[in-house]
Amino acid sequence: MTEKKAYSKPTIIRHSVGVQNKFGRPPATVPINRLDGFEVSELAEKYGSPLFVLSVKALRDRYRDLKRAFSTRYPNFQIAYSYKTNYLKSVCSILKQEGAWAEVVSGFEYDIARNIEVPGNQIVFNGPYKSHEELTRAFNDGAIVNLDNYDEMQVVEKVASELGKTLEVGIRINMDLNDPPWHKFGFNVEAGHAFEAVKRAEAGGKLKVVGLHIHTGTYVDDVTIYSRAAQGLVNFYSYIQEQLGVKLKYWDLGGGYASHNTLHGAYLPAEQTCPTFDQYAEAICPILMSGPFQAQDAPKLFIEPGRAIIDEPFSLITSVVSQKRLPSGQRGVLLDSGMNIMSSVQWYRYNFQSAQDSGTMLEDTIVYGGLCMNIDVLQASSSIPPVRRGDLLVIPHVGAYNISQSWQFIYLRPAIIAIEDGEVYVIKKAETRDYVQGFEDVPGKFITN
Amino acid sequence: MELQFKSELTISESGFLFDHSTGLTYTLNSTGQFIFRKIQDKQNAMHILNFVMQEFDVSEETAHKDLDDFVRQLKEFDLVSR
Repeated sequence: MTEKKAYSKPTIIRHSVGVQNKFGRPPATVPINRLDGFEVSELAEKYGSPLFVLSVKALRDRYRDLKRAFSTRYPNFQIAYSYKTNYLKSVCSILKQEGAWAEVVSGFEYDIARNIEVPGNQIVFNGPYKSHEELTRAFNDGAIVNLDNYDEMQVVEKVASELGKTLEVGIRINMDLNDPPWHKFGFNVEAGHAFEAVKRAEAGGKLKVVGLHIHTGTYVDDVTIYSRAAQGLVNFYSYIQEQLGVKLKYWDLGGGYASHNTLHGAYLPAEQTCPTFDQYAEAICPILMSGPFQAQDAPKLFIEPGRAIIDEPFSLITSVVSQKRLPSGQRGVLLDSGMNIMSSVQWYRYNFQSAQDSGTMLEDTIVYGGLCMNIDVLQASSSIPPVRRGDLLVIPHVGAYNISQSWQFIYLRPAIIAIEDGEVYVIKKAETRDYVQGFEDVPGKFITN
Repeated sequence: MELQFKSELTISESGFLFDHSTGLTYTLNSTGQFIFRKIQDKQNAMHILNFVMQEFDVSEETAHKDLDDFVRQLKEFDLVSR
């Protein structure tokens, strides 16, 4: 009896013209069947699917690369990690080990930082709303506090009176750098509001302005925006130094640094457009060093990266549940993960990579999430090889926002594991019904007949 | 039930398919080519399923499901009628 041939799903691909170009992304035909030395199939079998996987090495490497790029160009530099992008305790702890300070934007995030013993004087407290109690705690701890608005300034003046001392503060400013401009945070420079705010803070006699903070936007892959922000900071500092005698202890360029994920509508893939950390640093540091000070007195430079260091180290393992043929002829694939744990599908065109050898015949596919909601589409058009129920896919670069913005809906949220030096650690268990309903109570009158 | 191509089609040995009526081109993988040639030989769907199972190492369940999907796709591409 002759041996049968190896089988692959029968596939026909219609050719289309005008969509490929010489800058196109290489086809995703090479499977990702291992993550940091572990078989994807074994991880899914042991810890379940879907499953978030953190490569600790990748996280440390990203952090160290960023730190190297800036600290070799600016003498007094500090990274404050943006907790909101992913505040898993393990992530925050690893970055604390690496020397990161915490950038927090709420009392809850502040508490997370203190809970893992980040010293108060290594916390940068931003965010447009901070309560009286939270501000009092922050100043008692020696945290860096950047003020967003006049209402907050008045509260901080009250805190200063209650504590009986002058409080050092930073002022959040914004400039017309983007289209549309980011005016939500802080006081606008071009309209003169920022100067008035610094003047007002100093005039009250209870606050001393020692810092400036600016946030240029989110996923800013045009480094010239950072150059303009840096030049704006230098100009503004020179002006308030001359007019008001302000001497800065720090300036903070916020976050917004891009990651290697491609935005919807982007012509080129992020592999070709995402600036390197060296390009960001080169766009910022030489301009700041032209500021009104001697090099040895340079104000401390903070940056607050989030996605740029936390996106790449995380992958999501997910399973194919079914596939169907749509009336258009397009293939639809349904996964066991949904947009409740992948909220960034709103912004990113993720890569869906097969975790097993599935051949090289890529087919245009609509990728549906597993939620019973029509809007749960993870990607309207993705080229993926033939797959069948039970096959595993790996979605790389999912670390930013997907976990901190996830919501429990219909399904329980999955486990999260970390891998380092050949060891696997469960850093968050999969949810259970008891966990989800633990805070609920049903009054007896709703139960008895 | 017999499957039939709607227009004259030419397929190369490497699986490159040209539709003379529309000018559109396609690529088929080896299993797709195998099935395509059986359709050209005027085999019906049940026979094609048997041929696939004789030729390839595949369960009936998988082969059946995949053949159905393949034929649906040929139909959506306006290449075959049933």
